[in-house]
Amino acid sequence: MSLVKQLWLAIIVVMAIAFGGSLIVNVLSARAYLQQQLQIKNIDNATSLALALTQLDKDPMTVELLVSAQFDAGHYRFIRIVSPTGETLVERVFEGEVVGAPSWFAQLIPLEAEPGRAQVQDGWRQFGTVVLASNEQFAYKNLWQGTLDLLLWFVLGALFTGLLGSYALRVITRPLGAVVQQAQAISERRFLTQPEPRTPELRAVSRAMNDMAGRIQAMFADESTRLEALSKRVNLDPVTGLANREHFLSYLREALSGEQFGSAGTLVLVRLAHLNELNAKFGHQRADQLLRALGSVLQGCDQENPGQRSGRIKGGEFAIVCPTLASPTEAAQLLYERLWRNWLPDWEPEFPDLFHLAAVGYVRPQSLPDLLTRADQALALARTKGPNRWHADEREDAGQFSLPAERWRTLLTEAVHGGRLSLAFYPVVQRDPQQPLHQEGMIRLRLGSEGQLLSAGDFMPMAASLNLTAPIDLGVVQLALEHLRQVSGDVAVNLSAETIADFGFRNQLVQLLQGFAPLCPRLLFEVPEYGVYKQFDAFCDLVRSLKALGCRVGIEYFGQQFASNGKLAGLGLDYIKVHPSFVRGIGQNPGNQEFLRGLCTMAHALGITVIAQGVESADDLPLLAQLGFDGATGPGVTGD
Amino acid sequence: MRFSRTPLTLGLPLLALVWALVLAGLGLGWASPNLDLKQRLAQERFGPQAAQTVAAWRSMMEQARTQPVERQLQMVNNFFNRRIVFALDPTVWGQADYWATPLEFMGRASGDCEDYSIAKYVTLLLLGVPNEQMRLIYVRARTAGALTEAHMVLGFFETPLAEPLILDNLITSVRPASSRPDLTPLFSFNSEGLWVAGQTQQVASSTARLSRWRDVLERMSREGL
Repeated sequence: MSLVKQLWLAIIVVMAIAFGGSLIVNVLSARAYLQQQLQIKNIDNATSLALALTQLDKDPMTVELLVSAQFDAGHYRFIRIVSPTGETLVERVFEGEVVGAPSWFAQLIPLEAEPGRAQVQDGWRQFGTVVLASNEQFAYKNLWQGTLDLLLWFVLGALFTGLLGSYALRVITRPLGAVVQQAQAISERRFLTQPEPRTPELRAVSRAMNDMAGRIQAMFADESTRLEALSKRVNLDPVTGLANREHFLSYLREALSGEQFGSAGTLVLVRLAHLNELNAKFGHQRADQLLRALGSVLQGCDQENPGQRSGRIKGGEFAIVCPTLASPTEAAQLLYERLWRNWLPDWEPEFPDLFHLAAVGYVRPQSLPDLLTRADQALALARTKGPNRWHADEREDAGQFSLPAERWRTLLTEAVHGGRLSLAFYPVVQRDPQQPLHQEGMIRLRLGSEGQLLSAGDFMPMAASLNLTAPIDLGVVQLALEHLRQVSGDVAVNLSAETIADFGFRNQLVQLLQGFAPLCPRLLFEVPEYGVYKQFDAFCDLVRSLKALGCRVGIEYFGQQFASNGKLAGLGLDYIKVHPSFVRGIGQNPGNQEFLRGLCTMAHALGITVIAQGVESADDLPLLAQLGFDGATGPGVTGD
Repeated sequence: MRFSRTPLTLGLPLLALVWALVLAGLGLGWASPNLDLKQRLAQERFGPQAAQTVAAWRSMMEQARTQPVERQLQMVNNFFNRRIVFALDPTVWGQADYWATPLEFMGRASGDCEDYSIAKYVTLLLLGVPNEQMRLIYVRARTAGALTEAHMVLGFFETPLAEPLILDNLITSVRPASSRPDLTPLFSFNSEGLWVAGQTQQVASSTARLSRWRDVLERMSREGL
């Protein structure tokens, strides 16, 4: 029973005892009073009748008249005159039916008054005894009426006190609610701090919980910082802060095989032609400065384009993968313009022949060595153009389904209303591949009747620019719900980074899910990491509303923006899917093993399930499990 | 008797309990009167003379207990008529009208007609004369000089319909009513209906003292009768 209910019950019991007790005492005391009054009346009336009779002649007519007069004018149950030998001389008994109170009341609280007695003399001789009893009905009536009045007042009083009490309860329990909420949040491993309530007892509780939440948050922040440092050391180039060769290639491989982004993209290479001469001319320190400056220009550009990532793949060779730019020329121009503006002017005067830049397009599936070879060839072509020049290798098939914007609009609008959308399901398995944790539903768009299917990366950027991601995401959720109705097991769906900030979408989503409440616990939502941090507050709101419905929420492609992860402690997230760039080749990467082990430990402490994305071979599964992963997905994982 | 004017006595149940205990004690006291207490009280309140009177009263009762009723009536009548000096209430008690208990009566060794009648009535009750055979009777007495005055005597009825024997403080002998032409009866009463033997509730109720008769009965019971 809840505290509020218990307090209410206590109020009711106290009211009942207080008012009921005083009602009983009052009624009893009133009864005693009435009884006494009746008694006195009986005695006094008997005496005065006897007195009157004693003074009169005792002829039967006179006696009878006097008794009748007394009886008719007064309020008596009976008047009787009994002779000294015990026979009744005159008797008058009330015959009518006067009901002063319900009979059960009269039985419950009887009025017991002795009849009054007095002697009648005839000269010296005894004439008889007057015995009379007053009619109690008027007393019962009084008692009953008074009891009803009292009861009414007591009920009113109890109601008033009850109202006052419930108001007081509300005031008292308001801070309690906040404390309970915090406790619930902690039990869901969301470590939030709350303003302290004014009630001293609750303040102590709240302060203790705040302290604990604060300490845990600090602990996670520390751990997060440590892991971030570790991840940097393992995956980043120490001089430029860009991804190192291993990590970059892992990331690139994901871009070439995964489906986070479109199937067509561009790889850009930047080569410093004469690094050794640079070192010789500038000295080690200034050469590092130059590299750092280049690194920060490239990083700045990365942050402006989702998915774009730069890495230092050799001493003087940098690579940038632009998964959202299908046109090599466009990508080359973008980067070349950046370097030209922000980096080159500082160094060119002293060292005119600094770099060459080349861009090559790719279309999935694309083998990595081929791409790198083509990039090398393009770079060679750039060199032939002279110092600090660029070359883009345009391929004829680069935009094989590049459509005019109008065509896209028609296609996507149709997709929203018609049956062009479908889901392809990929299992996320635990150790036992037969028992998937859940199926991840990947969106597919059917291009035409011939049946070419596009994956999200291919059309979502276009949908985003046409403002159609929200209806498409809703369509995905509907498909997932239909699937859930047909099969058992859980299903995860992706929400676009663009839609989570859309308030209208969130309302529609919640409404849709409310219609399918029984399915919600089997439905998982995931948002890519860059989408989460781009609109963190919107994401928090989304998590709250989805979790209220019983859905689970996770982050996919996790790990790239580690610095922000301290915030996750308060979210109540259910799972994370770790970015494939950390998972690929994990067997040969002891640094990332350590990093992922730490990440798993921390996530588990927060009650978050950790899943490896982009697992290429089932052979990696035992190692991943050993590192602490709860599940795995990727090309190497099949449900069969 | 409007209900709203009812005194809301919260302590009433407690009071009732105390009364019940007191009454239980009184009931016992009536059943076997505590004459030692009476004698001690007389000593304390009225001095050795009074104690002597009570002692004499007790020995008179001892003697009378075995006698027939007529003899008992005479002994009791004589005892009080001889021992006690007639005096009016203003003299004895400083009040216009005061009904004294037998103890007070014997203590002061003086009293008026009510006091004589009450003392005789109680003494005869103690000797086992049934209550219903006795009446305290208000009478109009013609005294010398054709004056009339309010008076009270004790009447004893051998049978319910009989002529009573009159115990009066004006004359020494107990005579039948018919031989008392100087007295005209007006009204009679006894403790019947007020104080049924063993059942003392009426006399002890909180209103008892409003009535002179019930007041004296109650004071008596406190003095050990």
